Amino acid sequence: MSLFSRIRQWKRGAENLPEELAAHMEALRQERLELGDTPEEAARYARLKIGNLTAVQESVHEASAQGHAETMFRHFRLAFRNFARHRRAYGSAIVILALGIGMSTAMYSLVDTVLLRPLPFPNQDAIQVIWKADPVAGKHIGELAYPELADLQTHVPEYQFVALLPTTVYGYGKVIQIGEAEPFQVESAPVSHDFFRVLGIDPVLGRGFEARDESEGAAPVIVLSDSLWRQHFSANPAVVGTQIRVNGEGHTIIGVLAPGAAFPRDVDLWVPLGRNPRMMTNRAAVYLQAIARLRPGANAELARNQVEMLFHLQITDHPGIYSQTQRAVVTPLPAYWTGSAGLHLWVMLAASVLLLLAAAVTAGNLFLSRTLARQQEIATRAALGASRFQLLLQFTLEGIAAGTLAAVGGLAVAYAAIRALVYVAPADIPRLEQAALHPEAFALATAVALAAAILCSVLPGMVVIRASLERSLREGGNRSGSSRMGARAQNLFVFAQAAVTVALLVLSVLLVSTYRSMMQTDLGFANEGTVTMNLALRGLGPSVDEKQRDDFYATLLQRLREAPGVQAAGAVLVRPLQGPIGWDVAYEFEHESGTREARDLPKSQYQVVTPGYFETIGTAITGRDFSAHDRDDTEPVAIISKALASRLEAAGHAPIGHRIRLKNGQAVWRKIVGIAADARYRGITQDGLDVYVPHRQAAQQTNYLMIRGNLPEETLVQIVRREVAKADPRQAIADPATLAQLVDRDAARHRFNMVLLLWFGACALILSAAGVSSAIAESVAVRSKEISIKATLGAPRPRLVSELIRSSLLFVLAGEVLGLCGAVALARLGQDLLYGVKPYDPFVLGIVFVFLLMISATAALIPAWGAASRDPKLALSAS
Amino acid sequence: MTPSDESKRLEILQGTLNMMILQVLLPDSANGYEIAKCIEQRSDELLQVDHGSLYPALRRLEARGLVEAEWRVSPTNRRARYYALTAEGRQQIAAEHSRWCALVDAITRVMRPA
Repeated sequence: MSLFSRIRQWKRGAENLPEELAAHMEALRQERLELGDTPEEAARYARLKIGNLTAVQESVHEASAQGHAETMFRHFRLAFRNFARHRRAYGSAIVILALGIGMSTAMYSLVDTVLLRPLPFPNQDAIQVIWKADPVAGKHIGELAYPELADLQTHVPEYQFVALLPTTVYGYGKVIQIGEAEPFQVESAPVSHDFFRVLGIDPVLGRGFEARDESEGAAPVIVLSDSLWRQHFSANPAVVGTQIRVNGEGHTIIGVLAPGAAFPRDVDLWVPLGRNPRMMTNRAAVYLQAIARLRPGANAELARNQVEMLFHLQITDHPGIYSQTQRAVVTPLPAYWTGSAGLHLWVMLAASVLLLLAAAVTAGNLFLSRTLARQQEIATRAALGASRFQLLLQFTLEGIAAGTLAAVGGLAVAYAAIRALVYVAPADIPRLEQAALHPEAFALATAVALAAAILCSVLPGMVVIRASLERSLREGGNRSGSSRMGARAQNLFVFAQAAVTVALLVLSVLLVSTYRSMMQTDLGFANEGTVTMNLALRGLGPSVDEKQRDDFYATLLQRLREAPGVQAAGAVLVRPLQGPIGWDVAYEFEHESGTREARDLPKSQYQVVTPGYFETIGTAITGRDFSAHDRDDTEPVAIISKALASRLEAAGHAPIGHRIRLKNGQAVWRKIVGIAADARYRGITQDGLDVYVPHRQAAQQTNYLMIRGNLPEETLVQIVRREVAKADPRQAIADPATLAQLVDRDAARHRFNMVLLLWFGACALILSAAGVSSAIAESVAVRSKEISIKATLGAPRPRLVSELIRSSLLFVLAGEVLGLCGAVALARLGQDLLYGVKPYDPFVLGIVFVFLLMISATAALIPAWGAASRDPKLALSAS
Repeated sequence: MTPSDESKRLEILQGTLNMMILQVLLPDSANGYEIAKCIEQRSDELLQVDHGSLYPALRRLEARGLVEAEWRVSPTNRRARYYALTAEGRQQIAAEHSRWCALVDAITRVMRPA
């Protein structure tokens, strides 16, 4: 018989039970009537014999499967009724658990999307990004030159494919014009021909690059990103093979990539790198990085060593070119891809796990208190015949019910949190926008919460039940019996919470301190309202000389300065805070000339600027600014930053009037005419040395236009657009942003982290205070008689209070010490996120320590003081 | 029935009700009343059956598939639920019967006057 039909039959039987019993009674009555009883006597006999009909029906019902289900249901109803009655305690426990589940699920979902989910490149761990580091030259990354591609291919047999691409994306913007439509600018990446083979991807349409595309005089070809193809080519598969104008020159589209497969990020166009034979043979033209794929079965560590050896060999093979101290930096692509976003997210995940733990501990504490407070109810139910099993079942179901409610809430919180986080998170965290709820993470967080809820309901429940069954109602509701265990458990909770809270608070205060330092840093750009934009001149063709380019800028800037409302305008090679990598140059001062080999020279950031640039962005200068008279036929000049100047001063030379030589092609001695304030070009937290040369004396072109005026940002951009169109309609500007916005972008990750951690820290603090308070309240309730007696006997109130709170505060202290250790350890791991503050900053640690202790003391004092101030007579008579 | 009769009556040993129900049903199916009566009569009215407690026991046996039930008309012309042993029930009573005999035998030996 199937279970189902059995249950059905059962149900039928149960329904017909009254009839069956009636038949039985009738038979009994008949029997007595036949023996000669009166009808009344017979009826009475029958009733006696069969017993209480309702009881019979009930016991039959309970034996049935449906009966089991109904019992469970009744218990659940009881649980919910219990929650409703003690709305505050259970409500807050459930809300706290829901928050913990939600936040940790949300954070894990983000971490998974950004860090753990594989990139769209097959066998991603076999891909490595390679550049150099040189401790002598400074902290800048060492770049590679085109001839090193062959070096890597021959000397690193572990690599199957190697390709080159520039270390920076910016500066390779291209203006595209399709038919007669208005030209627009996109970022491009020049790559060597094995690039897509290194990534392991084939274009979904057409083909990738071949060696022949890289030769001099090869027909110009391009590969499009999926988004560019969709936006500007209406996803038309027939575009492959057609020609479009890129920088004014006809290019053939040979392929379209799959969606999401764009590398480097935000690049929409790939072009062959090696089209200039001079660059391809020049070992000094360092601006590239390599990306390589290990051959199947290759050893990543071995490959790293081979690269290291190669870079050593280079020093002897090409004397005078490579620094003696150059080292290899080999990064797996996944780590390179996420960069510092990874560290940020891991810290946040750790923080949210701490929060989940804090939530579980708090909720457990609240459940424990409630259970202890219900001792009398349990005793009453036990006395009324509830079995031990039934009572335990009751506690278990309460735990499950609470955990379930919390899970439902947590799901909602997680959804909302993911939405909110994706919305407020800085845009430069890769793939973040794809984040969605991670079901496994949710299941795990829910399991933790459920376990906490059930454990903290059932364990104290068991103790309470045992105590109740043993002594029943004898003690008249005094809960001293099981409360010792309860107090111990609560103190442990208090300890754990203090530890977690201190850790979270220390981390958040460190981040706040970092952010404050960042905001207080003098960036060297005073005019935050200055609007900056990319205006790299495109499409003038290689035949156009530097002079024409410089004239274009000079004329444009002059017109802009004359426009009403514009106060200043200038241009620069790479604008401030554009990214962590810029243009570096080796330099030497006249006084040290010849003392060092060229390869061992220190490096400085290199900037090409127009006259008026410093005034536009608000960098102070002593000496003089460049002027229109600094031309290629006048004396070469330079402006150096204060930090660089102080090196000269330290060597006993007056900077202004001294001469400096830059090793980038035009190795001329330049007279230093001015000293600019130190500026942070690579990032708010990165100081460095800067050297500036006038645009008419440099081979490099200015790429970014700066304009300042008392007009709104959009109007200034409109003015530039108008003037650019007048000067050359083939040009397009891109990515306008004020300096303030650039600063904001750079600080966005830190701010994001800080705000989240502060929020977590505040939650933990509230939870912790609530935990201490409830532990004290519990111990006050248990000891009310003792307190009253002591108070009657004249014990001073402060002593009573201190007796009550002492032990809990000791646990807080112990927890704080543990938490501090944990926080310092965590902060050391995440040291890269800190700026202007040490992970073990005693001031921060001290402040947090004292702060939490004060909050805990306050939370403890409130119930303790209340208890000590109560009229002892009232308390005594109440019990 | 006299009060002295009443005092001689025995409570049913825990766990034996199921066995006795199965035994009663061995020759023929019966309804609840008949089962109770049969137990009382066979024990010479010494065993006192709480007629009400019969029903949870019957339901349990039914759930375990040892008995099955159907509605029939009783000799007194009323509709009543008749219980009959299933094949499983027959096996069960055979097993319980021999276990019971062994138990009684053992206890009797223990209780033999020394």
